[in-house]
Amino acid sequence: MASTKEYGAEADDQTASTFSLTEEDHTLGNALRYVLNKDPRVSFVGYSIPHPSEERVNLRLQTTGLPARDVLKDGLQDMMALNDHVRVTFEKAVDDYKTLQGMREMSVGASGRSGASAKSGLTHQTLSTDTK
Amino acid sequence: MDTVTSYTRFPTVRIRELKDDYIKFELKDTDPSIANALRRIMIAEVPTLAIDLVEIETNSSVLNDEFLSHRLGLIPLKSERAMEMRLSRDCDACDGDGSCMYCSVEFTLNVKCTSDQTLDVTSHDLISSDPSVVPVDNNLAQDINGFDAPEARGILIVKLRRGQELKLRAIARKGIGKDHAKWSPAATVAFQFEPEIHINEALMESLSLEEKKEWVDSCPTKVFEVDPQTQQVVVVDAEAYTYDEEILKKAEAMGKTGLVDIISRDDSFIFTVESTGAIQASQMFINAIEILKTKLDAVRLSFDTEEADDQFGELGAHMRGGGM
Repeated sequence: MASTKEYGAEADDQTASTFSLTEEDHTLGNALRYVLNKDPRVSFVGYSIPHPSEERVNLRLQTTGLPARDVLKDGLQDMMALNDHVRVTFEKAVDDYKTLQGMREMSVGASGRSGASAKSGLTHQTLSTDTK
Repeated sequence: MDTVTSYTRFPTVRIRELKDDYIKFELKDTDPSIANALRRIMIAEVPTLAIDLVEIETNSSVLNDEFLSHRLGLIPLKSERAMEMRLSRDCDACDGDGSCMYCSVEFTLNVKCTSDQTLDVTSHDLISSDPSVVPVDNNLAQDINGFDAPEARGILIVKLRRGQELKLRAIARKGIGKDHAKWSPAATVAFQFEPEIHINEALMESLSLEEKKEWVDSCPTKVFEVDPQTQQVVVVDAEAYTYDEEILKKAEAMGKTGLVDIISRDDSFIFTVESTGAIQASQMFINAIEILKTKLDAVRLSFDTEEADDQFGELGAHMRGGGM
């Protein structure tokens, strides 16, 4: 099971912590770093993978006042919203493309087929000349 | 989504080309880190099904058992079901041996060559216990597109001569590319940065027509062209530029440094996704987003369990079956 540990928050200052995420890598580390960097409440964020054969990401987060943990949670939330947005936009784009393609095929279908089907039309022609 | 007071940008998507096993699209207004996360997930973390356990009953073919098992593992299987299935290592319906409907699909293969002609054993000879999980068949896919495929041949596993026999039982399981490449649904997933090309017109006009042609021809890909009418150098296909910088070196060699300025836009990407056929290319991208979301959830939830541990001390950790 993946676990997250916070280091450095035991001290009086909760605004700066290092989060150690297990079973994660650059995939999440770098993306999270980007999202957190966009947050104006963040004064510093960076990540490292201490050893390549250990599945662990250390994420350092310093804020301008709020507890680092809360800001990280907001960052996760932000990225979740970003993901939802990309998913919705992508699905819409795919649907739009498909309808457009369907419409194009219908209008092309009326005036004879194109592309791959034109090729089969050609073989059909050669066949008919052969029989003559 | 409107409730989010987020500081991140919200990307846009435009599809350029879409087929079952291929998609090309633009992802704009985001960062390389997001694009790269999605690319990495599509390659290594989108689950598919692949043969993982083979019990061989009879094998008198020329290939040894482990060689055959490896070949069977590499056959892509239609994996629309994979996202809902369980990984056999955390399946509690079976005793972890990975042989129940939630985590596995059974295949059988029973072929014997009785004629003098060599018999091809292909993926078509694999009989699946689940009609939705079958080996992918590109030849059939071509038939639908109107190509005259010779005959649907399937993927060759081994060839048998007279008297040789192959009989086996195979279990396909869910897995991810990180564990073994056979589980990767991706043939290629790549994104490129959209180039922005600015020609210094004033400097360009100081070149003769021959020099312009020479400069245009120095580019290994067809990015520029000399307009036959106006004799001006124009950009015909900015995306053909491969960041090889040959064109910049040529300009420098001609003593015209700064003839052209090329910047790679790091906020818009052109994705090319090719699937092995296990999952539709467009679905691969959607699955990748879902997996990224589960990753985020995992981090958030691991916080909550940690907080619960703080509250209940040792007890909470014990209840979850040991510490971290």
